Amino acid sequence: MSKVFQQYQGGSNKVFPGDKVKEIHEASVHLMEKVGVKVHNPRARQIFADHGAQVDHGEAIVKIPRSMLEDAVAAAPSRVLLCGREEKNDLVLEGTNTYLGTGGTVLYTLDLDTGERRPTEVRDVAGYAKMTDALENVAFFVINCYPQDVATEDVDVNRFYHSFANTSKHVMGGIYTMEGLKDVIRLSEEIAGGKANLLARPFVSFITLIMSPLVMEVTYTDFLMEIVRYGLPLTTPAEPLAGATAPVTLAGTVTINNVESLAGLVLAQLIRKGHPTLYGTTSSIMDMVTGTYMAGAIESALINAGCAQMAQYYEIPIYATGGMSDSKIPDCQAGYESAATAMIVALAGANYIHDAFGLLEFCTTLSYEKMVIDNEIVGMALRAVRGIEVNEETIAADIIAEVGPGGNFLAHRHTAGHVRKEFFFPRVADRQMRRDWEASGSADTAARAKVMAEEILREHRPLGFAEDLEALLRKNYAGIK
Amino acid sequence: MIQEIYTKVLAGESDGVRSAVQKALDEGIKPSKIINDALIKAMDEVGARMKSGEMYVPEVLIAAEAMKAGLGLVKPLLEGEAYAVGKVVIGTVAGDLHDIGKNLVTMLLESSGFEVIDLGVDASAEVFLEAAGKHKPQIVGLSALLTTTMASMEATVKALREKAPGIKTMIGGAPVSQQFADEIGAGGYAPDGASAVDLAKKLIQ
Ligand code: B12
Repeated sequence: MSKVFQQYQGGSNKVFPGDKVKEIHEASVHLMEKVGVKVHNPRARQIFADHGAQVDHGEAIVKIPRSMLEDAVAAAPSRVLLCGREEKNDLVLEGTNTYLGTGGTVLYTLDLDTGERRPTEVRDVAGYAKMTDALENVAFFVINCYPQDVATEDVDVNRFYHSFANTSKHVMGGIYTMEGLKDVIRLSEEIAGGKANLLARPFVSFITLIMSPLVMEVTYTDFLMEIVRYGLPLTTPAEPLAGATAPVTLAGTVTINNVESLAGLVLAQLIRKGHPTLYGTTSSIMDMVTGTYMAGAIESALINAGCAQMAQYYEIPIYATGGMSDSKIPDCQAGYESAATAMIVALAGANYIHDAFGLLEFCTTLSYEKMVIDNEIVGMALRAVRGIEVNEETIAADIIAEVGPGGNFLAHRHTAGHVRKEFFFPRVADRQMRRDWEASGSADTAARAKVMAEEILREHRPLGFAEDLEALLRKNYAGIK
Repeated sequence: MIQEIYTKVLAGESDGVRSAVQKALDEGIKPSKIINDALIKAMDEVGARMKSGEMYVPEVLIAAEAMKAGLGLVKPLLEGEAYAVGKVVIGTVAGDLHDIGKNLVTMLLESSGFEVIDLGVDASAEVFLEAAGKHKPQIVGLSALLTTTMASMEATVKALREKAPGIKTMIGGAPVSQQFADEIGAGGYAPDGASAVDLAKKLIQ
């Protein structure tokens, strides 16, 4: 077994040519220097000012000079290690290494038993973490729901505790309060056995945010600064919606996203040079008929792929978005929207693609069945990312000569030797003859996925906590359900 | 001329609306007739076309812009007559920074002839109460996009019901529902911008 999680090299998909990357970069520098970013947080503004940015405290505008951006880009690590609690789940974010995982913070899930949409609870945080642990193509767990059955002040600690308890893959999440953030960091230290261990093998990381267009507000910027000072990895994504909080042109949206995400990254690097900060995007579009945010739009995938090209230019790993759908149930639309968007962003070589599992309905609802289906979609996407390996052995000219005109390859050792690596073997897709499919109950995709999800929830045993550790954590955090 | 104003609003041509409105005034058509039979009527049609998916949101907003350009010429001539259909104070509740939906609702209300005072994001119950006292709207609209801020919404609606009982409240945002509106005693709930306008119209009747 390899030491780290399975690695795939994306990057074959380019949504604009290389010289256009430069053009967007130059436009971004211009915007940073001339328009600036509105930084409502006075403490952050002061940091920018102390390092020589042009700051108008009255208007809260921070203009970031080219040199400050360049220094930050140079200081930010090109390789970020996001660990699992087990080494086999370590992720190496660099270059065009591509991983896909969950995401959301949704409020609802389709109930696995009834199929009905109901509020998410602690058992769903645990359930989706467990699914993450079991499904081979899910590389990490961005905590994907908000438990509505615990008191507001206990939400943060419950989200993280039940995630750690149910998966040893990397856990990342947003936080809701400063107290919660501090609790989560302390909880993580207790699991790691101290701060030094935690920072050496960070199995937890955080998400803060930049508000499009071009705003850093107070609370989340405080979170950002707190996390950077502590030293755990962080992403500062922006979520410009093309046509609403960004230009409708996708190049304009990539540009604004670039400015915003880099502004967060600059602040992080000013506070602590070399801090593991990920470039971030959750950008998408607004639907112009209904006026709502769209998750499964093809344009979202293009914007994310474009941002990946920008991040690759800066040599900073990227947290990106792909694989969602706006359908209300795990149906055909759910399949094609998730497949198209996951595929495009993965082929672009975005390093850490979140939201790729189980999401429906504008990123507001989860589905266990869909998570299983997405595991297959992502399997296909990763197979596509792997491309075609070409060498003497795979061209197989000697084998072709040996079999000769009119022969067949089925029984050849070359076939048996390579088939498992060359082919992707789906588990949800039905490949039976009609007669056999009918004999096995004529189940559709979602019904087949449901059986698999039920089995995982019933049978899968995650690493979990040793008994004394669990007792200690529960004693220290009375709010844990 | 009334017809021309109507068509130019639908086409979103601000300059065209302005010159047509000027011509109408020169011809002696009454300002209130220009507003009701041309400007507002055009926006009603825009609303209908938006609902049917014929017009896209940005086109709707450009039509609204054109309507306002015409309104700007007529408004000063109204001599005390109230031109607005009604007055709404709107804001995103304390702790919540989401404003895209609230802004859209604001623009659509304005384009349907409402006067709207926007309190921005992260507005506390006190800010809402103060604005309600100062502007005396018929309706206060509240937006919340987070479960965590639905509590501030509840508190604000409660404060308004106690301290400004004459004012109706309407609420919206992704996690909010009719059921929640009933629970907290809000005057109404609307799931999207177009129905928010319908709701506001219903509430002021
Ligand atoms: C864009 C967005 C953001 C942007 C907001 C930018 C902005 N300027 O508003 C940013 C990135 C800043 C953001 C931040 C966060 N977000 Co956010 N965000 C969204 C997203 C994707 C879209 C919201 C949106 O603008 N929709 C488009 C508008 C037009 O629709 P709408 O707001 O629903 O409004 C319509 C109706 O609701 C109604 N309406 C709205 N207001 C009103 C008011 C009245 C009076 C009436 C009648 C009607 C009405 O009419 C509108 C027009 O049709 C939603 C997901 C979603 N699908 O809703 C998540 C979502 C709301 N966010 C979520 C979360 C978790 C967060 C963060 C906590 C994330 C974090 N990293 O920590 C922060 C919180 C910041 C804060 N304190 O508020 C969750 C909420 C879940 C929860 N637990 O409550 C959601 C549901 C996404 C998700 N599934 O994770 N977010």
